[in-house]
Amino acid sequence: MDFDREAVLESFIAESQEGLDLMEQSLLAMESSAGGPELVNDIFRVAHTMKGNATALELDDLAGFAHATEDLLDVLREQNTEVGASEISLLLKAVDELRALVIGATDGSPRLTDNQQHLRKQIADEVDRRSQQLRAGQTTNGGRPAAAKASALPGAAGRTLRADIDKLDRMLNLTGEIVIAHGRLRRLIEKVESVNTNLGRDILEVQGETEHLFRNLQEEVMAVRMVPIGTMLRQTLRSVRDLANSHSKLARVEVLGGEVEVDTAVLEHLKDALLHMIRNAIDHGIEIPPVRKSRGKNPCGLIRVSAAHIGSNVVVTLQDDGAGLNRASILHKAKEMGLFLNANPVSDLELFQILFRPGFSTAGSVTDLSGRGVGLDVVRRNIEALHGVVEIASEEGKGTVITIRLPLTLTIIDGFSVLAGDDTFVLPQEYVIECTELTAAHRRPGSSGILNLRGSALPYIRLREVFGQPATSQVRENVIVVKVGEFQAGIAVDRLLGGVQAVIKPLGKLFRGISGIAGSTILGDGRVGLIVDVPGLLQDMMQSSLQAS
Amino acid sequence: MDAVKEAKPHSSANGQHLTFFVAGEEYAVKILKVKEIVEYDTVTTVPNTAPWIRGVTNLRGNVVPVIDLAVKFGLPPSKISKFCCIVITEVSYDGDKLTMGIMADAVNQVVDFSENEVEAPPPFGTRLKIEYLLGMGRMGKKFCLILDIDKVLSTDELLAIADSTSEPQDTTSNPAALGARAAESGV
Repeated sequence: MDFDREAVLESFIAESQEGLDLMEQSLLAMESSAGGPELVNDIFRVAHTMKGNATALELDDLAGFAHATEDLLDVLREQNTEVGASEISLLLKAVDELRALVIGATDGSPRLTDNQQHLRKQIADEVDRRSQQLRAGQTTNGGRPAAAKASALPGAAGRTLRADIDKLDRMLNLTGEIVIAHGRLRRLIEKVESVNTNLGRDILEVQGETEHLFRNLQEEVMAVRMVPIGTMLRQTLRSVRDLANSHSKLARVEVLGGEVEVDTAVLEHLKDALLHMIRNAIDHGIEIPPVRKSRGKNPCGLIRVSAAHIGSNVVVTLQDDGAGLNRASILHKAKEMGLFLNANPVSDLELFQILFRPGFSTAGSVTDLSGRGVGLDVVRRNIEALHGVVEIASEEGKGTVITIRLPLTLTIIDGFSVLAGDDTFVLPQEYVIECTELTAAHRRPGSSGILNLRGSALPYIRLREVFGQPATSQVRENVIVVKVGEFQAGIAVDRLLGGVQAVIKPLGKLFRGISGIAGSTILGDGRVGLIVDVPGLLQDMMQSSLQAS
Repeated sequence: MDAVKEAKPHSSANGQHLTFFVAGEEYAVKILKVKEIVEYDTVTTVPNTAPWIRGVTNLRGNVVPVIDLAVKFGLPPSKISKFCCIVITEVSYDGDKLTMGIMADAVNQVVDFSENEVEAPPPFGTRLKIEYLLGMGRMGKKFCLILDIDKVLSTDELLAIADSTSEPQDTTSNPAALGARAAESGV
C-alpha cells in the first residue's frame, strides 16, 4: 500500500476538494433556484466517488462519513421531491466537515470529532425518517425507473487533462522567445534581401509563414490558460451566504457574463480583490432588512458582479444597492488630511479615489459613517499588480459601483515604443490615445508642463527628465497622449519608434518598488527595454499636484 | 552553517574560486556561485535605482540585473573595454535564488585555495566593509579579496540604498511622489 500512497493521496485530496466545491455550488444553486434532480445526482456522484477513494486509501472514518452523506443523497434522489432549506443546511455542514477531514487526511487517517459524530448521527436519522416515508409511498408509486441509477455512475467526463500552471508558463515563455527571435531573424533577412534580392525574398517568405504559424501556436497556448471568470465567482457565493447570515442581513449575488475568460494568473489576483469588495459590500454597503424596507428597497440586498470584454480589456464591475458612500464625511476627512483644500468643487472621481490610499481606510470615523474603505488600498494594489485600474462611483442611499479594468493577459502586450534620452521605453498601447508634436511654443525645460491640445489644457511630463536620462539635442519632441480611467495627460518623448508586441519580463525582486516602471521586455535588437507604468506615472503627477494645491 | 563560519571566519573560504579585476583590484568569488561569464553587452539603465545598479541585460531571454562593484566600493563607475565582461552569479536572498551579474574589467583565473592559503580579512586597510569579505586568498606574492557574494549583493541593502539616494538626487522630477510610490508599486 505504501508504494505510491503519497501520490495517490495527493490526487485524492485535490480531486476531493474540487468535488466538494462542486457539491457546495450545486447545493447553493438548489437553494436559489429549487434545482432539479440533476443537481442531486451531481452531488451524489461526488459523495460516492469520495467514499470509494477514501475506502481504497483506508481512511475509514472519512469513508464512513461520506457514506452517510451519500445515503442521505440517495434517499433524496429516490424521493424525487424538492430539497428543503433544512436539508441543504445539513448537507452544507457535511461539506464543511468532509473538507476538514480531507485536509486532515494528509497526516494519516483522521478520526471523527464529537461534532462530526453528532452530525453523522443527524444525517443517519434523516435518512431513516425519509426511507420510512419512501417505503410507505412505494406501494402506491411503483418502482423508480432504473435509468436514473445508471446515470449516477461516475465517468463520461469530457476529454480534459489537468496541467501544471508552471508548465504552461514555461510554454508561454518559450513561444514569447520565438516571437522575439523571429523579429531579429526578419531584420537580418531584410539585410540579405538588399544584397541578393531573389534568395532574400524567398527566405523572407518562408520566414513570414513560420512566424504566422508561431503566432497561432502562441495564441493556442494563451487560450489554454484562459479560464471563465464565473467559476471563481460561484465559489464566492457560499461566503456571501454565510457572511450575510452572520450580520443578520439578506443578500444575494447575481453574476453576469460568467463565461468571460481571463488568464488564470489574472484570475488569481482578481479573486482576492473581488472577495474583499464583496465582503465590504455586505459588511458596510447592504443595510439590515428593516432599514432597507423603510427606504423602500427589497429587504434582500443585491450584489451584481458583471464581467465583459471591452476592447483589449476585461471590465469587471461590482454593484450593490446598499447605503452608498457618505460623500460629505469623506470630503471632511480628506480636508483634515490636507487634501483638496483649495479645489472646489471636487469631482466624485477624484474624491473617491482617495479611498484607495493606504492609511485613509483606517480612519475610524469615515469607516463608521460611510462604510467602505476597509482595505481598499489592498484591492488597488492587487489590481495594479495586474496593470489594471479601479474606480469607484457611488450615490448616497442608492449604492456603490466599483469598476475594475484589466488587461486580458499578463504576459504579452501591444506596446508603443519610444526613445527618451538614450533608451527605448515601451508604453502599453491600451493607454495611448494619440500622438502629437510638442510645438516650440509649449516647450519648457523641466520635467513637466502644460500644452494646448485643440484648445484644452493638457498636463504633460517629460519622460527623459522623470527617468533621469541624459539630455539630447533633439530639435523636436513628440507627445503621446495617454488616458487612464477618466484622466488624460501627455508624455513627452524624444522620438516615436512605433508599435511593438512586447513579451513582459518581470524585473525581479531586486527592482521591487521601482516607481514608473511596470516591467521589461526584450526589444527586437536583443536589448532590454523598460515598460512604462503609465497609471503609476499619472498617479504621481496627480499626487504631486494634489499636494501643491 | 553560520555557526561554523563564525568560529572559523576564513575556513569556509577555501576551495575553487574565480578571480576577476574591478578597478585594478583582484577579487575572488566561490566558483560554485558562478553560473557563467558573458561578454559585456548592452546594459539598460533602470531609473530611480541605486547608482551602483548598472541596469539590466538580456541573458538568453531572461532579464538579469547587473551591478558595478566599483561604484559600490566608492570608486568611479567602471569603464567599458574589450576585456570587460559580466560574471553571472547566483545569490541567495530571502530563501530565493537570484541571478545577478557583476561587471568585471577582466576575468583572470580559477584558483584553488587550500586552507592555509586563506587568511582572515584585515580589520582595516581595504576599501570595503569587512562583512563583504570571507578572507584574503594568497596567490604567490599577491593577495586577492575573497568576496562573500551573498552579503555584497544583499538585496535588503540594495533597497535601503535605493531609497536613501533616490530622493535627494531627483530634484528635477518630483521626489515626494516618486518616494511615495516607490513603496507600493510592483512588477
